[in-house]
Amino acid sequence: MSTEKKMSRRDLLKMAAAGGTGLVMSGLPVRVIAQDMVTIKVQTAGLDDNTLQPVADIQMARNPNVNVEWVVLTGIDHEEVAAKILALVAAGESIDVGYAATEACQLFAGQGLAAPLDDRITSDPDQDFWTDFFSDVHPSLTEAMMYEGSLYEPPRDFNAANMYFNTNVLAENGFEVPGEEWTKDDFLEIARGTTKKDDSGNTEVFGYAWTNRLWGSWMPWIFVAGGNLYTEERAPGGSWVWDGYYAGDAAAEGRGGGFRWREPVANSSEVVEALELVVDIWKEGVTPDIAMGTGQTLTGFYATGLLCMTPAGGFWAGRLGNEGMEKGDFDVQYWPNWRNQKHQFGTGGHWLSETSTAPDEAWEFMKIEVSHEGFQSSIFFNPVIITTPSRRSYSQADAFESTGPANSDVFYGTLDDHPSTSPIPAPPWSNPMTTIFTTYTGFAMSGEMGPQQALDEMQAELESLTNREGRKYYQE
Amino acid sequence: MTSRKTTAVAGGGIFHWLMQDTMDGLRRRRAVLGYLFLLPTLLGIFIFTAGPVFVSFGLSLFQWNIFKPPDYVGLENFERLLEDRRVIIGLVNTVKFTVLAVCSQVSIGLILALAVHRINRVWLRYYFRTAFFLPLLMSGASVAVFMGYIFHKEFGPLNYYLTLLGIPQIPWLTSSDLVMISIAIISAWRNMGFTFLIFLGGLSNLSQEVLDAADVDGAQGLRRLWSVTIPLLSPQILFATVTGVIGALQVFDEPYIMTRGGPGNASRTLVMVMYEHAFKHIEFGYGSAIAIVVFLMILVMAIVQMWLWRNRVFYQ
Repeated sequence: MSTEKKMSRRDLLKMAAAGGTGLVMSGLPVRVIAQDMVTIKVQTAGLDDNTLQPVADIQMARNPNVNVEWVVLTGIDHEEVAAKILALVAAGESIDVGYAATEACQLFAGQGLAAPLDDRITSDPDQDFWTDFFSDVHPSLTEAMMYEGSLYEPPRDFNAANMYFNTNVLAENGFEVPGEEWTKDDFLEIARGTTKKDDSGNTEVFGYAWTNRLWGSWMPWIFVAGGNLYTEERAPGGSWVWDGYYAGDAAAEGRGGGFRWREPVANSSEVVEALELVVDIWKEGVTPDIAMGTGQTLTGFYATGLLCMTPAGGFWAGRLGNEGMEKGDFDVQYWPNWRNQKHQFGTGGHWLSETSTAPDEAWEFMKIEVSHEGFQSSIFFNPVIITTPSRRSYSQADAFESTGPANSDVFYGTLDDHPSTSPIPAPPWSNPMTTIFTTYTGFAMSGEMGPQQALDEMQAELESLTNREGRKYYQE
Repeated sequence: MTSRKTTAVAGGGIFHWLMQDTMDGLRRRRAVLGYLFLLPTLLGIFIFTAGPVFVSFGLSLFQWNIFKPPDYVGLENFERLLEDRRVIIGLVNTVKFTVLAVCSQVSIGLILALAVHRINRVWLRYYFRTAFFLPLLMSGASVAVFMGYIFHKEFGPLNYYLTLLGIPQIPWLTSSDLVMISIAIISAWRNMGFTFLIFLGGLSNLSQEVLDAADVDGAQGLRRLWSVTIPLLSPQILFATVTGVIGALQVFDEPYIMTRGGPGNASRTLVMVMYEHAFKHIEFGYGSAIAIVVFLMILVMAIVQMWLWRNRVFYQ
């Protein structure tokens, strides 16, 4: 008797379904979440989804009922990450905690997406925590995270535009890292003196380079020339933080409830002069053609000795180390003095969603992140600095001991020793503003328009944008 | 017959009607099974393609920034669009790119297919087939990133080798005059594998009788190519052109990653303008209005091409 049995199509389908289900089940992470667990969704800005894991670990160790879930959103620049957060919100997804730099913070606050933190801070029973935190964070960083009198993010990191030098290129051309008081003319001398051209006139080593974006870019030249893209006003309010936590701090005097950027002044003579400066040295071949981006491309060229100077903040210290640059191969200095030595910075941190379903747990996460414990464990600041810590005590020379630069005191000194330092222009409509800014920068830097024409047209577009968008924001 | 069916349905419901042990019942079951297999695809198309198209039509009549409820503005978005310089520039750039990219990918694809078709060694043919098709398997984003390095004016390997030949550095991506040409070259490099394969398939299926007849008539070389081969390949050329134009009108990855629309607005395409308004400037209504323009452009271009080619396509 034959024992052979033919498999029917139905059997085959059953087996395939069972097998498929098994495969799917085996691929699922085995995680048992108790019924009383609270899950908070935290958006991270990239690198990898474990960037904030140490902070989550601290919170989950303290409170085993909290589960932290990552929402990873990457982007070429801050405005793109902000756009992705908005797309997420538009799609009906929610996050409890999001990351934003200065410009997106203003947008999320202005649109009511982020929750003001004033009451949470002032009513926190652990007032020592906040007294310690604010005493360790420069008031300008706190002010940049305020909107119409309320604080929306405790600053976690910041980056001011300082000047980085490839010390090997400097030395090869007989230069040294200039002193703190160096000027625009000193800069031009070094930039021209370190530029090397081949016989056919092509530049082989550039004295200076930058990328076309809002932060960094040629914006530092606008500031030291005495200009800005918008008039810089202070919103009323904020006395709760200045009188409460910064009482007696001279650097907090005269501060308000955040900034208002209401009137575009992009074609003022100072801004035109600043653009003329960068266009002129581009025409001389001192700077390469200007591309869009965050400077990743430049990092490689800088590390291989093809560039001498570029604007960057503390975030470059670790990055250059990762590119193989040894301690001593690079250094940093304040931005050169022109009409003034006013620096620009951008700051970043986490904001609490107004629609969070677990706001207390989300707030706890934010608090841990900016605590000493959070800073000591953060991958952003350990083992090397990959973005400048907002807390002064973590931005000292020892933090840059393994990587350099030697002048690392410049980073926090930009805030402490240069009281005029202020945030990049970051109205809530900074995304379209950035598009306009980079577009007309591109027109000027490709020679398609002269600086005056480019800035006149930029001004016209900014006025039209501000008329359309500006009335939606700011209370007066 | 009709009354029996009606009775069956009324008496036993749809299930019995479907499960009738008759030839009609079998046909119905097969039809239902067919539709069930189609259902996932149809649902996908409806949810991810057709649905959003309809929603976009509706959204284009609203002003919506996701934070507040949509505000009905009628045709205001379309009026604004007509005066928006960036939209006009995006449109011109897109058309410029489409002409450059489609012409090059169709012509290069055809030349390569003709060349590879003549190779007798099978392994060599496989090698070229794979080599030309590989770029198409790469994501547009990764192609854009590494091409950004290759085409870099000062530090890119392309200019490095050109300068060795005594050619001055070319500002591939930073000159307003050259940037769209460079992007079209990159796009053609990536997409020509598709047209190449279509043409190669077409060449392999050419009627031997027609080719032999051409030989007998003395048609050789270019004459045979122009008067026999290309007309016989016209269905493939039409297909490659129509799909190429549809793809090119939606160009986004390469210019966005390599130049972000610059320098100035020189490489800003219509889809990029749409993305910027919808997602970066949070103007979903206006972004939808631009999306509709793109949709109509693609539709009109496809119809026009089909119409233009109506008497020039020869099916064997």
